[in-house]
Amino acid sequence: MSRVEQFGSRWGLVLATLGMAVGTGNIWRFPRIAASNGGGSFLVAWVVFLLLWSIPLIIAEFAFGKRARKGTIGAFVEIGGPKTAWMGAWVAVCATAIMIYYAVVSGWCLRFLAASLTGDLTSSAGASEALWTTFNSSWAAVLTQGLALAAALAVVWFGVRGIERVATILIPTLFVLVVILAIRAVTLPGAERGLAFLFTPDWSALAKPDIWLQALTQNAWDTGAGWGLILTYAVYMRAREDVALNGFLIGFGNNSVSLLAGIMVLCTVFAINPGAQAEIVGAGNEGLTFIWIPQLFAQMPGGAVFMVLFFLALSFAALTSLISMFELATRVLIDAGLSRRVALFGLGAVAFVLGLPSALYIEVFQNQDWVWGVGLMLSGLFIAIAAIRFGVDRLRTEVVNGDGADLRIGRWWTIAIIALIPIQAIALIVWWLVVAYQSNPEGWLDPFSPFNVGSVLFQWAIVLVVLLLANRWLVRRLSGPPSDTSPPKGGEVIP
Amino acid sequence: MTTEAIVIMIVILTAVWGGFGFFLTRAILSERGKRHD
Repeated sequence: MSRVEQFGSRWGLVLATLGMAVGTGNIWRFPRIAASNGGGSFLVAWVVFLLLWSIPLIIAEFAFGKRARKGTIGAFVEIGGPKTAWMGAWVAVCATAIMIYYAVVSGWCLRFLAASLTGDLTSSAGASEALWTTFNSSWAAVLTQGLALAAALAVVWFGVRGIERVATILIPTLFVLVVILAIRAVTLPGAERGLAFLFTPDWSALAKPDIWLQALTQNAWDTGAGWGLILTYAVYMRAREDVALNGFLIGFGNNSVSLLAGIMVLCTVFAINPGAQAEIVGAGNEGLTFIWIPQLFAQMPGGAVFMVLFFLALSFAALTSLISMFELATRVLIDAGLSRRVALFGLGAVAFVLGLPSALYIEVFQNQDWVWGVGLMLSGLFIAIAAIRFGVDRLRTEVVNGDGADLRIGRWWTIAIIALIPIQAIALIVWWLVVAYQSNPEGWLDPFSPFNVGSVLFQWAIVLVVLLLANRWLVRRLSGPPSDTSPPKGGEVIP
Repeated sequence: MTTEAIVIMIVILTAVWGGFGFFLTRAILSERGKRHD
Protein backbone atom coordinates (compact mmCIF):
# COMPACT_ATOMS: atom_id res chain seq x y z
CA MET A 1 0.00 0.00 0.00
CA SER A 2 1.26 3.43 -0.81
CA ARG A 3 1.71 5.90 2.01
CA VAL A 4 1.47 9.58 1.22
CA GLU A 5 2.62 12.21 3.65
CA GLN A 6 0.49 15.28 4.23
CA PHE A 7 0.94 18.75 5.62
CA GLY A 8 -0.34 18.84 9.18
CA SER A 9 -2.42 21.95 8.59
CA ARG A 10 -3.34 24.59 6.05
CA TRP A 11 -0.81 26.93 7.66
CA GLY A 12 1.95 24.41 7.17
CA LEU A 13 1.18 24.31 3.45
CA VAL A 14 0.83 28.10 3.19
CA LEU A 15 4.06 28.84 5.08
CA ALA A 16 6.07 26.23 3.17
CA THR A 17 4.75 27.60 -0.14
CA LEU A 18 5.47 31.17 0.91
CA GLY A 19 8.97 30.01 1.85
CA MET A 20 9.32 28.66 -1.67
CA ALA A 21 8.02 31.89 -3.23
CA VAL A 22 9.92 34.40 -1.12
CA GLY A 23 13.53 34.13 -2.23
CA THR A 24 16.50 36.32 -2.95
CA GLY A 25 14.67 37.70 -6.02
CA ASN A 26 12.23 39.53 -3.76
CA ILE A 27 15.02 41.19 -1.82
CA TRP A 28 17.77 41.85 -4.34
CA ARG A 29 16.00 42.03 -7.70
CA PHE A 30 12.62 43.65 -7.09
CA PRO A 31 13.93 46.95 -5.61
CA ARG A 32 16.42 47.38 -8.48
CA ILE A 33 13.95 46.57 -11.24
CA ALA A 34 11.16 48.70 -9.75
CA ALA A 35 13.51 51.66 -9.30
CA SER A 36 14.99 51.47 -12.79
CA ASN A 37 11.70 50.94 -14.66
CA GLY A 38 9.51 53.91 -13.86
CA GLY A 39 8.83 53.43 -10.12
CA GLY A 40 5.11 53.85 -9.52
CA SER A 41 4.07 53.03 -13.08
CA PHE A 42 6.12 49.80 -12.97
CA LEU A 43 4.31 48.87 -9.76
CA VAL A 44 0.93 49.26 -11.49
CA ALA A 45 2.03 46.85 -14.25
CA TRP A 46 3.52 44.53 -11.60
CA VAL A 47 0.18 44.28 -9.75
CA VAL A 48 -1.65 43.65 -13.06
CA PHE A 49 0.64 40.71 -13.88
CA LEU A 50 0.28 39.30 -10.38
CA LEU A 51 -3.35 38.75 -11.39
CA LEU A 52 -2.74 37.77 -15.04
CA TRP A 53 0.27 35.45 -14.68
CA SER A 54 1.20 34.49 -11.13
CA ILE A 55 -2.13 33.75 -9.47
CA PRO A 56 -3.67 31.75 -12.38
CA LEU A 57 -0.53 29.61 -12.58
CA ILE A 58 -0.27 29.16 -8.81
CA ILE A 59 -3.90 27.93 -8.79
CA ALA A 60 -3.16 25.61 -11.73
CA GLU A 61 -0.14 24.13 -9.96
CA PHE A 62 -2.09 23.54 -6.75
CA ALA A 63 -4.80 21.83 -8.84
CA PHE A 64 -2.26 19.59 -10.66
CA GLY A 65 -0.62 18.42 -7.44
CA LYS A 66 -3.89 17.91 -5.60
CA ARG A 67 -5.40 15.91 -8.44
CA ALA A 68 -2.40 13.80 -9.44
CA ARG A 69 -0.60 13.40 -6.08
CA LYS A 70 2.63 13.01 -8.03
CA GLY A 71 5.64 15.17 -8.84
CA THR A 72 5.91 17.19 -12.05
CA ILE A 73 6.34 14.31 -14.54
CA GLY A 74 3.66 12.06 -13.04
CA ALA A 75 1.30 15.03 -12.71
CA PHE A 76 1.75 15.97 -16.38
CA VAL A 77 1.04 12.36 -17.43
CA GLU A 78 -2.08 12.38 -15.26
CA ILE A 79 -3.34 15.83 -16.29
CA GLY A 80 -2.02 16.38 -19.81
CA GLY A 81 -1.83 12.73 -20.90
CA PRO A 82 1.17 10.47 -21.65
CA LYS A 83 2.33 12.63 -24.55
CA THR A 84 3.14 15.48 -22.14
CA ALA A 85 5.51 13.54 -19.88
CA TRP A 86 8.45 15.33 -21.51
CA MET A 87 6.89 18.69 -20.61
CA GLY A 88 6.69 17.68 -16.96
CA ALA A 89 10.28 16.53 -17.23
CA TRP A 90 11.23 19.93 -18.67
CA VAL A 91 9.65 21.63 -15.65
CA ALA A 92 11.65 19.31 -13.37
CA VAL A 93 14.92 19.79 -15.26
CA CYS A 94 14.51 23.56 -15.31
CA ALA A 95 13.82 23.81 -11.56
CA THR A 96 16.64 21.36 -10.80
CA ALA A 97 19.12 23.29 -12.95
CA ILE A 98 18.16 26.41 -11.00
CA MET A 99 18.58 24.50 -7.73
CA ILE A 100 22.12 23.58 -8.73
CA TYR A 101 23.29 27.18 -9.04
CA TYR A 102 20.88 28.51 -6.40
CA ALA A 103 22.82 26.45 -3.84
CA VAL A 104 25.78 28.69 -4.74
CA VAL A 105 23.65 31.81 -4.13
CA SER A 106 22.45 30.39 -0.80
CA GLY A 107 26.09 29.76 0.10
CA TRP A 108 26.95 33.41 -0.66
CA CYS A 109 24.16 34.52 1.67
CA LEU A 110 25.45 32.26 4.46
CA ARG A 111 29.01 33.57 4.01
CA PHE A 112 27.90 37.18 4.25
CA LEU A 113 25.71 36.35 7.25
CA ALA A 114 28.81 34.95 8.95
CA ALA A 115 30.85 38.01 7.94
CA SER A 116 28.18 40.35 9.32
CA LEU A 117 28.26 38.47 12.63
CA THR A 118 32.04 38.60 12.94
CA GLY A 119 32.23 42.27 11.95
CA ASP A 120 34.28 41.53 8.82
CA LEU A 121 31.97 43.68 6.69
CA THR A 122 32.47 46.81 8.80
CA SER A 123 36.20 46.52 9.47
CA SER A 124 37.08 49.00 6.70
CA ALA A 125 35.37 51.15 4.04
CA GLY A 126 35.91 48.64 1.23
CA ALA A 127 35.57 45.47 3.33
CA SER A 128 32.45 44.17 1.62
CA GLU A 129 33.84 44.68 -1.88
CA ALA A 130 37.13 43.02 -0.87
CA LEU A 131 35.27 40.04 0.60
CA TRP A 132 33.01 39.69 -2.43
CA THR A 133 35.94 39.89 -4.85
CA THR A 134 38.02 37.28 -3.06
CA PHE A 135 35.13 35.03 -2.09
CA ASN A 136 33.05 34.63 -5.25
CA SER A 137 34.50 32.20 -7.79
CA SER A 138 36.72 30.63 -5.12
CA TRP A 139 36.93 27.30 -3.28
CA ALA A 140 35.44 29.07 -0.25
CA ALA A 141 32.27 29.53 -2.34
CA VAL A 142 32.35 25.77 -3.00
CA LEU A 143 32.43 25.17 0.75
CA THR A 144 29.40 27.39 1.38
CA GLN A 145 27.61 25.83 -1.61
CA GLY A 146 28.14 22.44 0.06
CA LEU A 147 26.88 23.80 3.39
CA ALA A 148 23.71 25.17 1.78
CA LEU A 149 23.06 21.85 0.02
CA ALA A 150 23.66 19.94 3.26
CA ALA A 151 21.21 22.21 5.11
CA ALA A 152 18.53 21.67 2.46
CA LEU A 153 19.18 17.91 2.40
CA ALA A 154 18.87 17.73 6.19
CA VAL A 155 15.42 19.33 6.03
CA VAL A 156 14.10 17.37 3.03
CA TRP A 157 15.38 14.15 4.65
CA PHE A 158 12.49 14.39 7.12
CA GLY A 159 9.96 14.73 4.33
CA VAL A 160 7.11 17.18 4.23
CA ARG A 161 6.87 17.35 8.00
CA GLY A 162 10.49 18.51 8.14
CA ILE A 163 9.75 21.15 5.50
CA GLU A 164 6.64 22.23 7.40
CA ARG A 165 8.45 22.54 10.74
CA VAL A 166 11.28 24.59 9.27
CA ALA A 167 8.91 26.86 7.33
CA THR A 168 6.79 27.41 10.45
CA ILE A 169 9.84 28.87 12.18
CA LEU A 170 11.72 30.59 9.35
CA ILE A 171 8.91 32.28 7.41
CA PRO A 172 7.24 34.18 10.27
CA THR A 173 10.76 35.16 11.42
CA LEU A 174 11.60 36.32 7.89
CA PHE A 175 8.44 38.47 7.78
CA VAL A 176 9.29 40.03 11.16
CA LEU A 177 12.89 40.72 10.06
CA VAL A 178 11.80 42.38 6.82
CA VAL A 179 9.23 44.51 8.67
CA ILE A 180 11.86 45.59 11.24
CA LEU A 181 14.31 46.49 8.47
CA ALA A 182 11.65 48.39 6.51
CA ILE A 183 10.59 50.36 9.60
CA ARG A 184 14.22 51.20 10.35
CA ALA A 185 14.75 52.31 6.74
CA VAL A 186 11.69 54.60 6.56
CA THR A 187 12.62 56.25 9.86
CA LEU A 188 16.09 57.28 8.59
CA PRO A 189 16.46 61.00 7.81
CA GLY A 190 15.99 61.46 4.06
CA ALA A 191 14.14 58.16 3.60
CA GLU A 192 11.22 59.97 1.95
CA ARG A 193 13.42 60.43 -1.12
CA GLY A 194 13.55 56.64 -1.46
CA LEU A 195 9.76 56.39 -1.16
CA ALA A 196 9.39 59.15 -3.76
CA PHE A 197 11.78 57.30 -6.10
CA LEU A 198 9.88 54.02 -5.68
CA PHE A 199 6.36 55.40 -5.99
CA THR A 200 6.59 58.42 -8.31
CA PRO A 201 4.94 57.30 -11.55
CA ASP A 202 6.27 57.93 -15.01
CA TRP A 203 3.07 57.43 -16.98
CA SER A 204 4.81 57.74 -20.32
CA ALA A 205 6.77 54.59 -19.40
CA LEU A 206 3.55 52.58 -19.54
CA ALA A 207 3.48 53.15 -23.29
CA LYS A 208 6.73 51.18 -23.60
CA PRO A 209 6.44 47.38 -23.83
CA ASP A 210 9.69 46.98 -21.86
CA ILE A 211 8.06 48.11 -18.61
CA TRP A 212 5.23 45.59 -18.96
CA LEU A 213 7.62 42.79 -19.90
CA GLN A 214 9.90 43.61 -16.96
CA ALA A 215 6.87 43.61 -14.63
CA LEU A 216 5.75 40.26 -16.05
CA THR A 217 9.27 38.84 -15.74
CA GLN A 218 9.50 39.95 -12.11
CA ASN A 219 6.21 38.18 -11.33
CA ALA A 220 7.31 35.06 -13.19
CA TRP A 221 10.62 34.89 -11.33
CA ASP A 222 9.78 35.96 -7.82
CA THR A 223 6.39 34.34 -7.14
CA GLY A 224 7.60 30.88 -8.17
CA ALA A 225 4.51 30.47 -10.38
CA GLY A 226 5.11 28.00 -13.21
CA TRP A 227 8.24 26.50 -11.67
CA GLY A 228 6.58 23.21 -10.59
CA LEU A 229 7.46 23.89 -6.96
CA ILE A 230 3.90 24.68 -5.87
CA LEU A 231 2.74 21.56 -7.75
CA THR A 232 5.23 19.55 -5.69
CA TYR A 233 4.04 20.91 -2.34
CA ALA A 234 0.43 20.43 -3.47
CA VAL A 235 1.11 16.67 -3.67
CA TYR A 236 1.05 16.78 0.13
CA MET A 237 -2.13 18.87 0.51
CA ARG A 238 -4.80 17.46 2.74
CA ALA A 239 -7.67 15.83 0.82
CA ARG A 240 -10.20 18.57 1.66
CA GLU A 241 -7.77 21.46 1.19
CA ASP A 242 -8.70 24.70 -0.55
CA VAL A 243 -6.94 25.65 -3.81
CA ALA A 244 -7.97 29.11 -5.02
CA LEU A 245 -7.88 31.03 -1.72
CA ASN A 246 -4.45 29.60 -0.96
CA GLY A 247 -3.34 30.67 -4.45
CA PHE A 248 -4.37 34.27 -3.83
CA LEU A 249 -2.80 34.20 -0.37
CA ILE A 250 0.57 33.03 -1.72
CA GLY A 251 0.60 35.53 -4.60
CA PHE A 252 -0.30 38.55 -2.49
CA GLY A 253 1.90 37.39 0.42
CA ASN A 254 4.93 37.06 -1.81
CA ASN A 255 4.43 40.46 -3.42
CA SER A 256 3.86 42.04 0.01
CA VAL A 257 7.38 40.93 0.97
CA SER A 258 8.72 42.35 -2.31
CA LEU A 259 7.19 45.74 -1.53
CA LEU A 260 8.65 45.71 1.97
CA ALA A 261 12.05 44.84 0.51
CA GLY A 262 11.75 47.64 -2.05
CA ILE A 263 10.95 50.16 0.66
CA MET A 264 13.77 48.82 2.86
CA VAL A 265 16.46 48.92 0.18
CA LEU A 266 15.56 52.19 -1.56
CA CYS A 267 14.94 54.16 1.65
CA THR A 268 18.30 52.97 2.97
CA VAL A 269 20.07 53.90 -0.28
CA PHE A 270 18.52 57.38 -0.47
CA ALA A 271 18.95 58.13 3.23
CA ILE A 272 22.59 57.07 3.45
CA ASN A 273 24.09 57.73 0.02
CA PRO A 274 21.65 59.58 -2.27
CA GLY A 275 24.44 60.72 -4.60
CA ALA A 276 25.30 57.15 -5.58
CA GLN A 277 21.75 55.89 -6.16
CA ALA A 278 22.18 55.37 -9.90
CA GLU A 279 25.41 53.45 -9.37
CA ILE A 280 23.88 51.35 -6.57
CA VAL A 281 20.68 50.49 -8.43
CA GLY A 282 22.71 49.69 -11.55
CA ALA A 283 25.18 47.44 -9.69
CA GLY A 284 23.28 44.21 -10.42
CA ASN A 285 21.84 41.78 -7.89
CA GLU A 286 25.15 40.70 -6.40
CA GLY A 287 26.71 44.18 -6.47
CA LEU A 288 23.74 45.72 -4.69
CA THR A 289 23.48 43.00 -2.05
CA PHE A 290 27.04 42.00 -1.29
CA ILE A 291 28.94 45.25 -1.94
CA TRP A 292 26.61 48.21 -1.48
CA ILE A 293 24.18 47.07 1.22
CA PRO A 294 26.97 46.34 3.76
CA GLN A 295 28.56 49.74 2.98
CA LEU A 296 25.23 51.49 3.54
CA PHE A 297 24.48 49.63 6.76
CA ALA A 298 27.98 50.41 8.03
CA GLN A 299 27.15 54.14 7.90
CA MET A 300 23.79 53.76 9.65
CA PRO A 301 23.34 54.12 13.45
CA GLY A 302 23.11 50.56 14.78
CA GLY A 303 23.94 49.37 11.29
CA ALA A 304 25.98 46.34 12.43
CA VAL A 305 22.89 44.85 14.05
CA PHE A 306 20.62 45.64 11.11
CA MET A 307 23.19 44.17 8.71
CA VAL A 308 23.01 40.85 10.60
CA LEU A 309 19.20 40.98 10.41
CA PHE A 310 19.37 41.71 6.67
CA PHE A 311 21.65 38.77 5.85
CA LEU A 312 19.68 36.54 8.21
CA ALA A 313 16.50 37.40 6.28
CA LEU A 314 18.29 36.86 2.97
CA SER A 315 19.65 33.48 4.13
CA PHE A 316 16.23 32.34 5.34
CA ALA A 317 14.67 33.41 2.03
CA ALA A 318 17.36 31.57 0.04
CA LEU A 319 17.29 28.36 2.10
CA THR A 320 13.50 27.95 2.14
CA SER A 321 13.47 28.34 -1.66
CA LEU A 322 16.38 25.90 -2.05
CA ILE A 323 14.54 23.36 0.11
CA SER A 324 11.50 23.51 -2.21
CA MET A 325 13.69 22.94 -5.30
CA PHE A 326 15.36 19.99 -3.56
CA GLU A 327 11.95 18.53 -2.72
CA LEU A 328 10.78 18.91 -6.34
CA ALA A 329 13.65 16.82 -7.69
CA THR A 330 13.40 14.35 -4.79
CA ARG A 331 9.67 13.90 -5.40
CA VAL A 332 10.24 13.04 -9.07
CA LEU A 333 12.88 10.46 -8.13
CA ILE A 334 10.57 8.95 -5.49
CA ASP A 335 7.85 8.68 -8.14
CA ALA A 336 10.39 6.81 -10.28
CA GLY A 337 10.71 4.21 -7.54
CA LEU A 338 13.70 5.40 -5.50
CA SER A 339 13.56 5.66 -1.73
CA ARG A 340 13.76 9.16 -0.27
CA ARG A 341 17.14 8.32 1.25
CA VAL A 342 18.70 7.17 -2.05
CA ALA A 343 17.08 10.03 -3.98
CA LEU A 344 18.42 12.62 -1.56
CA PHE A 345 21.99 11.37 -1.43
CA GLY A 346 22.15 10.91 -5.19
CA LEU A 347 20.66 14.31 -5.80
CA GLY A 348 22.89 16.03 -3.25
CA ALA A 349 26.02 14.55 -4.81
CA VAL A 350 24.96 15.39 -8.38
CA ALA A 351 23.90 18.93 -7.43
CA PHE A 352 27.20 19.54 -5.66
CA VAL A 353 29.32 18.35 -8.58
CA LEU A 354 27.27 20.11 -11.27
CA GLY A 355 27.22 23.30 -9.18
CA LEU A 356 31.01 23.47 -8.94
CA PRO A 357 31.43 25.44 -12.21
CA SER A 358 28.88 28.03 -11.01
CA ALA A 359 30.64 28.31 -7.65
CA LEU A 360 34.07 28.65 -9.23
CA TYR A 361 33.27 30.81 -12.27
CA ILE A 362 30.79 33.68 -11.97
CA GLU A 363 30.33 33.67 -15.78
CA VAL A 364 29.02 30.09 -15.62
CA PHE A 365 26.65 31.11 -12.83
CA GLN A 366 25.38 34.07 -14.87
CA ASN A 367 24.93 31.86 -17.93
CA GLN A 368 22.93 29.26 -16.02
CA ASP A 369 20.80 31.97 -14.41
CA TRP A 370 20.05 33.33 -17.89
CA VAL A 371 19.38 30.03 -19.66
CA TRP A 372 17.10 28.48 -17.03
CA GLY A 373 15.50 31.76 -15.96
CA VAL A 374 14.13 32.16 -19.49
CA GLY A 375 13.37 28.42 -19.46
CA LEU A 376 10.85 29.05 -16.69
CA MET A 377 8.64 30.89 -19.16
CA LEU A 378 8.47 27.66 -21.16
CA SER A 379 7.56 25.81 -17.95
CA GLY A 380 4.62 28.17 -17.43
CA LEU A 381 3.51 27.60 -21.02
CA PHE A 382 3.70 23.80 -20.57
CA ILE A 383 1.52 23.94 -17.44
CA ALA A 384 -1.11 25.86 -19.43
CA ILE A 385 -0.90 23.32 -22.29
CA ALA A 386 -1.36 20.36 -19.93
CA ALA A 387 -4.34 22.08 -18.31
CA ILE A 388 -5.86 22.75 -21.74
CA ARG A 389 -5.45 19.08 -22.70
CA PHE A 390 -7.21 18.03 -19.48
CA GLY A 391 -9.94 20.62 -19.95
CA VAL A 392 -9.49 23.87 -18.04
CA ASP A 393 -13.16 24.12 -17.09
CA ARG A 394 -13.09 20.51 -15.92
CA LEU A 395 -10.00 21.21 -13.81
CA ARG A 396 -11.74 24.28 -12.40
CA THR A 397 -15.00 22.56 -11.48
CA GLU A 398 -13.56 19.20 -10.34
CA VAL A 399 -10.44 20.32 -8.48
CA VAL A 400 -10.19 24.10 -7.93
CA ASN A 401 -13.85 24.51 -6.99
CA GLY A 402 -14.11 20.92 -5.72
CA ASP A 403 -13.99 19.40 -2.27
CA GLY A 404 -12.72 21.79 0.40
CA ALA A 405 -12.88 24.97 -1.71
CA ASP A 406 -13.15 28.14 0.36
CA LEU A 407 -13.17 30.37 -2.69
CA ARG A 408 -14.84 29.38 -5.93
CA ILE A 409 -13.41 30.94 -9.05
CA GLY A 410 -15.21 31.79 -12.26
CA ARG A 411 -14.49 31.49 -15.95
CA TRP A 412 -11.88 34.27 -15.82
CA TRP A 413 -9.40 31.61 -14.71
CA THR A 414 -10.27 29.41 -17.70
CA ILE A 415 -9.64 32.36 -20.03
CA ALA A 416 -6.38 33.18 -18.24
CA ILE A 417 -5.04 29.63 -18.67
CA ILE A 418 -6.25 29.11 -22.25
CA ALA A 419 -5.31 32.50 -23.67
CA LEU A 420 -3.40 34.83 -21.37
CA ILE A 421 -0.70 32.50 -20.03
CA PRO A 422 0.36 31.20 -23.48
CA ILE A 423 0.41 34.74 -24.92
CA GLN A 424 2.45 36.07 -21.98
CA ALA A 425 4.88 33.13 -22.03
CA ILE A 426 5.56 33.44 -25.76
CA ALA A 427 5.88 37.24 -25.51
CA LEU A 428 8.41 36.88 -22.69
CA ILE A 429 10.54 34.23 -24.42
CA VAL A 430 10.64 36.20 -27.68
CA TRP A 431 11.37 39.49 -25.90
CA TRP A 432 14.23 38.12 -23.81
CA LEU A 433 15.80 36.47 -26.85
CA VAL A 434 15.47 39.74 -28.81
CA VAL A 435 17.12 41.63 -25.91
CA ALA A 436 19.95 39.09 -25.93
CA TYR A 437 20.31 39.38 -29.71
CA GLN A 438 20.45 43.18 -29.52
CA SER A 439 23.12 43.07 -26.83
CA ASN A 440 25.34 40.84 -28.97
CA PRO A 441 24.18 40.99 -32.62
CA GLU A 442 27.42 39.57 -34.03
CA GLY A 443 27.86 36.55 -31.79
CA TRP A 444 24.19 35.97 -31.03
CA LEU A 445 24.28 32.28 -32.03
CA ASP A 446 27.55 31.38 -30.29
CA PRO A 447 26.51 28.47 -28.02
CA PHE A 448 29.36 29.14 -25.58
CA SER A 449 28.74 32.84 -24.90
CA PRO A 450 27.42 33.46 -21.38
CA PHE A 451 24.52 35.73 -22.33
CA ASN A 452 23.09 35.25 -25.81
CA VAL A 453 20.44 33.46 -27.85
CA GLY A 454 22.73 30.65 -29.00
CA SER A 455 23.57 29.65 -25.46
CA VAL A 456 19.87 29.34 -24.58
CA LEU A 457 18.92 27.45 -27.75
CA PHE A 458 21.92 25.10 -27.50
CA GLN A 459 21.23 24.03 -23.91
CA TRP A 460 17.46 23.90 -24.37
CA ALA A 461 17.82 21.82 -27.54
CA ILE A 462 19.98 19.21 -25.82
CA VAL A 463 17.51 18.85 -22.93
CA LEU A 464 14.40 18.89 -25.13
CA VAL A 465 15.75 16.27 -27.58
CA VAL A 466 16.70 13.94 -24.72
CA LEU A 467 13.34 14.39 -23.01
CA LEU A 468 11.33 13.87 -26.20
CA LEU A 469 13.25 10.68 -26.95
CA ALA A 470 12.73 9.49 -23.38
CA ASN A 471 9.01 10.30 -23.27
CA ARG A 472 7.76 6.70 -23.42
CA TRP A 473 10.29 5.57 -20.85
CA LEU A 474 9.24 8.42 -18.57
CA VAL A 475 5.58 7.41 -18.86
CA ARG A 476 6.39 3.76 -18.07
CA ARG A 477 8.59 4.70 -15.15
CA LEU A 478 6.39 7.37 -13.61
CA SER A 479 2.87 6.04 -14.18
CA GLY A 480 1.03 4.10 -11.52
CA PRO A 481 -0.11 4.89 -7.99
CA PRO A 482 1.76 7.43 -5.83
CA SER A 483 4.93 5.95 -4.38
CA ASP A 484 5.88 5.69 -0.74
CA THR A 485 6.86 9.20 0.27
CA SER A 486 7.63 8.57 3.88
CA PRO A 487 10.88 9.94 5.32
CA PRO A 488 13.65 7.45 6.12
CA LYS A 489 12.86 7.64 9.82
CA GLY A 490 10.36 9.53 11.96
CA GLY A 491 7.75 11.82 10.45
CA GLU A 492 4.04 11.18 10.48
CA VAL A 493 2.48 9.46 7.50
CA ILE A 494 -1.12 8.90 6.58
CA PRO A 495 -1.72 5.29 5.53
CA MET B 1 7.09 63.50 -2.28
CA THR B 2 4.51 64.75 -4.74
CA THR B 3 0.79 64.24 -4.16
CA GLU B 4 0.75 61.91 -7.16
CA ALA B 5 3.48 59.72 -5.62
CA ILE B 6 1.63 59.64 -2.28
CA VAL B 7 -1.60 58.59 -4.03
CA ILE B 8 0.19 55.83 -5.97
CA MET B 9 1.89 54.65 -2.77
CA ILE B 10 -1.45 54.42 -0.96
CA VAL B 11 -3.11 52.63 -3.90
CA ILE B 12 -0.30 50.08 -4.35
CA LEU B 13 0.16 49.38 -0.64
CA THR B 14 -3.60 49.04 -0.17
CA ALA B 15 -3.90 46.71 -3.18
CA VAL B 16 -0.98 44.43 -2.24
CA TRP B 17 -0.87 44.48 1.55
CA GLY B 18 -4.64 44.93 1.77
CA GLY B 19 -5.10 42.00 -0.62
CA PHE B 20 -2.82 39.84 1.51
CA GLY B 21 -4.67 40.86 4.68
CA PHE B 22 -8.04 40.20 3.07
CA PHE B 23 -7.17 36.70 1.84
CA LEU B 24 -5.41 35.86 5.10
CA THR B 25 -8.49 36.88 7.09
CA ARG B 26 -10.73 34.79 4.82
CA ALA B 27 -8.44 31.79 5.27
CA ILE B 28 -8.43 32.20 9.06
CA LEU B 29 -12.23 32.45 9.15
CA SER B 30 -12.59 29.42 6.85
CA GLU B 31 -10.32 27.35 9.06
CA ARG B 32 -12.28 28.37 12.16
CA GLY B 33 -15.53 27.47 10.40
CA LYS B 34 -14.19 24.05 9.41
CA ARG B 35 -13.05 23.39 12.96
CA HIS B 36 -16.52 24.19 14.31
CA ASP B 37 -18.05 21.85 11.70
